[in-house]
Amino acid sequence: MYIFDWEVFWKYVWPPTAFQNPLIRNGFIVTILVSIIAQFLGLLLGLIAALAKKSKLPLFRWLSDLYVWYFRGTPLLVQMMLLFFGLGVTHIYDFPSIHIGPWTISGAIQAGILALAINEGAYMAEIVRAGIEAIDPGQLEAAKSLGMTYGTAMRRIILPQALKVIIPPLGNEFNNMMKTTSIMVVISAGELFYGFTQVNAVIFQPFELFIAASIYYLEMTTIWSLIQSRIEASLGERKGLDKGPSMVRRLLSGEGGH
Amino acid sequence: MTLPKAELSGPCSGLPVVVHAEHIHKHFGPLHVLNDVSLQVCKNEVLVIIGPSGSGKSTFLRTINHLEKIDSGRILVNGHLIGYTERDGKIVEDSERNIARQRMEIGMVFQRFNLFPHLTALENIMEAPLHVRKLPKDQAIADAERLIARVGLSEKRDKYPNQLSGGQQQRIASASALAKQPRLMLFDEPTSALDPEMIGEVLDVMKELATEVTMLVVSHEMGFARAAADRVIFMDEGRIVEEGAPDQIFSHPTSERTKSFLSKILH
Repeated sequence: MYIFDWEVFWKYVWPPTAFQNPLIRNGFIVTILVSIIAQFLGLLLGLIAALAKKSKLPLFRWLSDLYVWYFRGTPLLVQMMLLFFGLGVTHIYDFPSIHIGPWTISGAIQAGILALAINEGAYMAEIVRAGIEAIDPGQLEAAKSLGMTYGTAMRRIILPQALKVIIPPLGNEFNNMMKTTSIMVVISAGELFYGFTQVNAVIFQPFELFIAASIYYLEMTTIWSLIQSRIEASLGERKGLDKGPSMVRRLLSGEGGH
Repeated sequence: MTLPKAELSGPCSGLPVVVHAEHIHKHFGPLHVLNDVSLQVCKNEVLVIIGPSGSGKSTFLRTINHLEKIDSGRILVNGHLIGYTERDGKIVEDSERNIARQRMEIGMVFQRFNLFPHLTALENIMEAPLHVRKLPKDQAIADAERLIARVGLSEKRDKYPNQLSGGQQQRIASASALAKQPRLMLFDEPTSALDPEMIGEVLDVMKELATEVTMLVVSHEMGFARAAADRVIFMDEGRIVEEGAPDQIFSHPTSERTKSFLSKILH
């Protein structure tokens, strides 16, 4: 019979003791930062792909379709390894470390951020497109009849309204993003889960350690859900949006997974 | 593009022609929605277009600021060809920027108001002056305050559209169209999405405007047409069936179709 080692579990689930190990502490910081950066870049890529999809030029529409098709139709794990090892071996880009002041961004972290962002962009493209299409066509007509060009109408009238539609699914995407960073373990990018696997390689207690690891992700997603509910509530109050599902429902229903 | 020689027999003898539409044809698939529509609107005239739904009257109005393309014919506003340009002897659609510039001279008020829900009443009125005409902010605010006072809604300046009644939204929409200082105003069924008790306030604003701008109104409001129109046009099945002074159209229509339409709507 297996005897659960509570001492190891508590040591690694309790941040003040766990963070004494730099692998866990730095891994935690990397996970948070990578999530934020990759989600932000993913939103930008999604916006570009969504606008390209609505372009008058067939080439742009076609490129947008191709991008969404490929990156939603293939596994992120494969994309990430292709990007890091594939590009590395061809010397198209060697992923050298980048030094910014006291910080060093390793090649693996760069590749991880890029792969997550590009993959996320393909999902965000559809979310942004749906957000734009949710806006009453009369809004674009009204903007045009005021003398706005398509670009001005998008920037001043359509996108600010679409943002309100985009924010709830964007929040869900970020929730997924924090969890998905864990697959960067395959390129040894030094995020949180990588830290736990390294500790496990030394003490081999995967049951205790990986439960502890899972609890960190649970904490991050729960705190984020609370923040997200606040954001949505404040948006709803000011602009008369319908209230979204409650936080408890959001957590238990596993909305927006892919 | 020069102003076509005003036909002396036309309705505008002597007056400047603001809208000149000739032989407009448009199809939606197999449907011939505009069938050889020709029309002139004179400076400061108030022209009301009536007709059954599906008669093409809204579509015609929307061709005047090129929200709808046309298949053939041409439309001039203040002597400028709308939506199209001549290139190497062929008529082609004009550039987006030129079309946008042409629309700046034409105010349009929609049936469902189409205010911008993320902006307050005052910000809605300021939107085109600030971001299309690029006026300085102080001036845009001053102009917007003057316009909102003119439609009698100064106390609602900081409300969002969803906090306003339909009639109030429509008055803000009128002020917002007027902020461009247009020489021509188009109204597309401005009262048909309103509760009956709110129609009066919108019509009052329109009657006041009618004294100083050229107006082309698609409407079911026969009361407004009688009181404010200089001329009434009856359209059916994509054609202009009859036109004349309001009294003539409402009291002595000559066409059987006009008579039957009016008998259904007036009583």
